[in-house]
Amino acid sequence: MVQSRSLIDEKGKRSDGRIIDELRQIKINVGIIRNADGSALIEFGKNKIIAAVYGPREVHPKHMALSDRCVVRCRYHMSPFSTDTRKSPAPSRRETEISKVIRESLEPALILEDYPRAAIDVFIEVLQADGGSRCAGITAASVALADAGINMRDMVSACAAGKVDDKIVIDINDTEDKEGGADMPVAFMPNLKKITLLQLDGELTPDQFNTCLDEAIRGCMKVYEIQRSSLMEKYFGDEKGLKE
Amino acid sequence: MSISRKSTIILENLRKRQMRESISSGKRLDGRSLDEIRPLEVELDVIKKASGSAWVKLGKTEVVAGIKVETGEPFEGLENSGAMIITAEVLPIASPHIEPGPPDEETIELARVVDRGVRESEMLDLSKLVLIPGKVVYTIFVDCSIINVDGNLFDATSYAVVAALASCKLPVFEIKDGNVIDTGKTQDPPITTMPVSVTTVKIGENLLLDPDTEEEACMDARLTINTNSNGSIVAMQKGLKGYFSVDEVKSIAERARIKGTEVREKLKGLIDLG
Amino acid sequence: MQDVKRKYVIPGDIVAEGNLRALVNVFRNGNSIVATRIGITESNNEGAKVIPLSGIYFPRANDIVIGKIQDHSSLSWSVDINSSFAAHLPAQDIFGRDFSPAHDDMGRQLSTGDVIVARIAIFDRTRDPILTIQDKDMGKIPTGELIKISPTRVPRLIGKRGAMIQTIEHASSTRITIGQNGIIVVSGKDKEGITLAINAIHIVEAEAHTSNLTQRIKQLLNVPESEIEGDDDSQTSNEANETLSSDEKSISNNINSEMGVVNPNGSK
Repeated sequence: MVQSRSLIDEKGKRSDGRIIDELRQIKINVGIIRNADGSALIEFGKNKIIAAVYGPREVHPKHMALSDRCVVRCRYHMSPFSTDTRKSPAPSRRETEISKVIRESLEPALILEDYPRAAIDVFIEVLQADGGSRCAGITAASVALADAGINMRDMVSACAAGKVDDKIVIDINDTEDKEGGADMPVAFMPNLKKITLLQLDGELTPDQFNTCLDEAIRGCMKVYEIQRSSLMEKYFGDEKGLKE
Repeated sequence: MSISRKSTIILENLRKRQMRESISSGKRLDGRSLDEIRPLEVELDVIKKASGSAWVKLGKTEVVAGIKVETGEPFEGLENSGAMIITAEVLPIASPHIEPGPPDEETIELARVVDRGVRESEMLDLSKLVLIPGKVVYTIFVDCSIINVDGNLFDATSYAVVAALASCKLPVFEIKDGNVIDTGKTQDPPITTMPVSVTTVKIGENLLLDPDTEEEACMDARLTINTNSNGSIVAMQKGLKGYFSVDEVKSIAERARIKGTEVREKLKGLIDLG
Repeated sequence: MQDVKRKYVIPGDIVAEGNLRALVNVFRNGNSIVATRIGITESNNEGAKVIPLSGIYFPRANDIVIGKIQDHSSLSWSVDINSSFAAHLPAQDIFGRDFSPAHDDMGRQLSTGDVIVARIAIFDRTRDPILTIQDKDMGKIPTGELIKISPTRVPRLIGKRGAMIQTIEHASSTRITIGQNGIIVVSGKDKEGITLAINAIHIVEAEAHTSNLTQRIKQLLNVPESEIEGDDDSQTSNEANETLSSDEKSISNNINSEMGVVNPNGSK
């Protein structure tokens, strides 16, 4: 991959002013969609994404139901105004693939046998995209699932790491994604320490890969802290410190 | 392409009865009077990647509208006029009754009625958005994402479009050596008027403004009227299988004009246009 | 309730470690018992569990629920019970064994949109729940104000041995019918009483995890301390947890006693 310009300056600052192991600003607002069983708005850098969960609920059409467990359906979709150039509202091949990998990144955390013959719908709407929208989408969806009160083995926290100017950096932004050397989104169950999403595009040496994976997981753990505090804030508010 | 709505919402009979009793005594279940519009909130510029945007809350109905500007060929027959395209999608996050799938007739009607109200009012002077007559014009997309449904999508979506348009900053394009160049500068949009949509529904013999989801589950007929800043009517749409008498239509039109003025002032205040 | 340990958790958090029994909304992972829901933990020598603060209603046999008639086939009504399963009320439940679709008009008994109180007669994970309305004070609810709360807050709303709901009913002169599925109908003669009761219910829902809730509800309703009979559980700071966690048996007992005399004070 040809790099047209330096993405990290001599002081170690990246194109958006961060240092190599710094995440963008993250804010999660739980329960913002009143009609949904669970929901979250995540602002992750310039990403602005809503995840809403409906269910477990009856499956329509009925023949899609499974007798011993719950069906998970996921739709990742970008609003037409979310990208630099307008995106057609019709779902693209990219959105279809991302919907699938997001579903598969969440399923390991869900105890689906608890809800036989039902469906859980996870809808992720990207209002503004800024690189790393699938990771931010997974992070928000996991919070929305917990908010919906679905039995989960663990949360799912997601963050990318990658290579920019031959350095391994955490939480790749839009510019780094387009111009950098490698992008590796990872989703991680922070307590069970299991990886549920792993994608890579770009080239990494074996050493770089190991560092990159460690860095991505470190990022996931930071994301987890924010998921956690947003849920605590929503459910226990100012009584947070009272117990424990 | 997008979305279909599941079977109609069944409102509990005891709730229905309560609603009818309440309405006939002049009050609605949420405490509003019959011609009272729910609180309107507008947050502008929520999408930094758009040329203009608005997050509108009408009661619990929430809509985000965003504007994208490109250049392209003019529509056929409108060679000396910029192009404007308004779309609306009721997202599946917005309600348990919405499912992904091809857009159904209700959603298409919604997008078209919102488009018509804004287009026919000539809110934007599209003749000012031409680069090479007959060949290259500004193309303005106003896309609306409905993120929570609690009735009256027509008005809420229309307010979001109007707020986004009135507050947007259009890019300045220029033609250099036959190519379109984005100068990086912005300009105010050529606004001529502010259309306001007011929807009235009929439940039994009563007329109500700005219905919520439960009221929509009981309505027999619906009439949406758009008025411009002069108080003229610019677009209408009657919906559903019920009907209105001639007198009812006239009084609805009059009230839509009066309420429209109130909403317009409110919107102007919220958009900070004075 | 000796030496009960409590804390606030989200899914994945460790509730307890060691050789405890994993009760509800937890699972065992090695030496730890881990939460599967957002809620309040409770661990004592019986085991460890989480009292959840969100989630849909999952049916259990003998629960009292309030449902909405969706439709009927020639043999049963299908009923929305605010769950992932549609419930069924067999026509025989009303017409008896001699029921025949040829001479019995189901639509005249219950029609789409009617609200009923029913008991879940049969339920297991392999089939949809079957309802009955043959118990005392069951069947169609003709009037009242319908509200929905999170089903996880229902035990808190009922309170210890019905203390909370009785407090609200007394003070507001209403009768309150509670479905275990989070659907509630409030009825009464005067509008103000109904509004008062609904406000109180919403406060209980919003603040179910907090302490001294009964106290605050009493203040809201202007109830003098002495007038409240029954268990005053508001003195201990663990009150919220105790009441939320009253074991499943006693929850349905509460409901049953509540339902049995749906209108302990409304029947004037």
